[in-house]
Amino acid sequence: MMTIIAFVLSILLGTASLARGYLQAGVTDYSRWFLLLAIFWLFAQYRKWYWFSSIALLITVFAAAYGVWREFPAVWMLLGALGGLLGWDLSDFARRLSYAAPMDDTRAMERRHLGRVGIVAALGVGLALVSLYVRINRLAFEVAVGLVLLAAIGLTRLVIGLRKY
Amino acid sequence: MPRSILLSLLTYALLLAGIVTVQGEFLALALPIVGYLLVSYLQAPNEIKLEARRHLSVERASPNQHVDVTVIVTNHGSSLEEVQLEDILPSGLTVRSGLRRHMLKLAKGETYTLAYTVSGPRGGYVFEALEMRVNDHLAVRSSKVRVQAKGRLFVLPPVMRLRHIAIQPRRTRVYAGTIPARAGGSGTEFFGVREYQPGDSPHSINWRASARYTDTLYANEYQQDRVADVGIVLDGRLRTNEFGRGHSLFEYSVQAAASLADALLSQGNRVGLLLYASFLGWTFPGYGKIQRERILHALANAKTGESQVFSDLEHMPTRLFPPESQIVFVSPLVEDDLRPLVQLRAQGYGVLVISPNPIKFELSYLPTSNPTVDIAWRVIQMERLLLLQKLQRANIHVLDWDVTEPFDLLVKRRLGRSPAWLRTIGR
Repeated sequence: MMTIIAFVLSILLGTASLARGYLQAGVTDYSRWFLLLAIFWLFAQYRKWYWFSSIALLITVFAAAYGVWREFPAVWMLLGALGGLLGWDLSDFARRLSYAAPMDDTRAMERRHLGRVGIVAALGVGLALVSLYVRINRLAFEVAVGLVLLAAIGLTRLVIGLRKY
Repeated sequence: MPRSILLSLLTYALLLAGIVTVQGEFLALALPIVGYLLVSYLQAPNEIKLEARRHLSVERASPNQHVDVTVIVTNHGSSLEEVQLEDILPSGLTVRSGLRRHMLKLAKGETYTLAYTVSGPRGGYVFEALEMRVNDHLAVRSSKVRVQAKGRLFVLPPVMRLRHIAIQPRRTRVYAGTIPARAGGSGTEFFGVREYQPGDSPHSINWRASARYTDTLYANEYQQDRVADVGIVLDGRLRTNEFGRGHSLFEYSVQAAASLADALLSQGNRVGLLLYASFLGWTFPGYGKIQRERILHALANAKTGESQVFSDLEHMPTRLFPPESQIVFVSPLVEDDLRPLVQLRAQGYGVLVISPNPIKFELSYLPTSNPTVDIAWRVIQMERLLLLQKLQRANIHVLDWDVTEPFDLLVKRRLGRSPAWLRTIGR
């Protein structure tokens, strides 16, 4: 139950933030589509079409990226992508919970999972906000290239580490 | 698509977009996803080392008897946050109570006991392993593990206690038993009178004959009772056993074969079993309780089958049976079986045919009010009677078994030893 509530809130957070950001930028047409996305996502979850969550994540992240590119308010875009990520995670967690037997301690699992996801979300938003508001005006080109390379290598190592398991 | 790949592709796409557009906000969008991946990576279990032990409440069960399955899973590796566990059930078994799928957390050194109850029809079932999916905290890293937990369950055919089966093969073995050996010696049944010889018990003197022929003494001789070689042939051919709408006589044949094997072994005979189906399933002859178990296990696994080679009885390997031994053929019988069975008899084997009646069986689920069915039944019944008469004329003992009648009653009536007082008056 906790997971379902958190899932609904995540979807609302994601789609409402994107709609708000797009509205603020004066793009009213797309805002309705985000509302429809939220409704369909909830319907898909109800019908156990878990595959739709991955599509919804892609839609929300690409919508946020498009907003960033069009210079819509970045905070709303960030919250939109984060809502999509949380919704995607909780949808899959709900799918995994359906595997549990009635006597299994699912409440404890839900509590632990929501706690961890909450920490991840807070950490992600915190870092993102820091990156949005902290500006380094003077950065040598070589340093920038080095940082980009470091990020790419770090990310690759991370993905390899995850795949090796 | 795996979750880790989806997230990493998204992150790469955002990074690339940030570099191409020279906009730092793209990197900000990527940060929650990177954080998600990082947390998952850092909190993943280092080592998965699981062990499982299975315990069945019984290893030999009767059909549809409830059997408790208990599996104890122990985690010898790192603490596992999320384990989806499923016990793989052999096909044919049904879960009666409890569940074989669970989701749990398994700390280091912790054990988890999974329990459920199954039942199933006759058969041999092998439990192999448990399938587990071990996820990290956020299920980005997921690994599927098969943990071996072997177990075997035999659902044996029901065995009816048969008191005595009167068979009389031409040749018996040397050991004492219950089958008349067609030879004089020590026994219970009167066999004949011969001249008294030194060493004979005075109790065996036939005083009436000795009084009539005064030149010498005469002694009674009794028929020796010995054990015999018995080969049970179970007909598993699809065309003789299976009927329309999935009805099958095979279960009855198996039940008869099991009961006969049990009774013949308990009489001390040497019994072997040949399953004649899509292949030849041969259980080597033997004595006693171990042989009983072997035969019951073979019968538990027996299935009907179709094969061009074994579609008729022409390829029955008679060399498996000792010469002049007893063959018990359990089959609903078809027309083509007459010649091979008569040949067996001609070779000197004692042949007993137990034939579950396929016509009465098929008629039991057909509409009796239909006149066409009635005529067809009469014609087929006549054909069958003719076949059985031909077998009997060849000195083959045939038991036509209406499967609605309990098998033990039929055997008692047709193969049982008649009471002593009835034997005295020659009936």
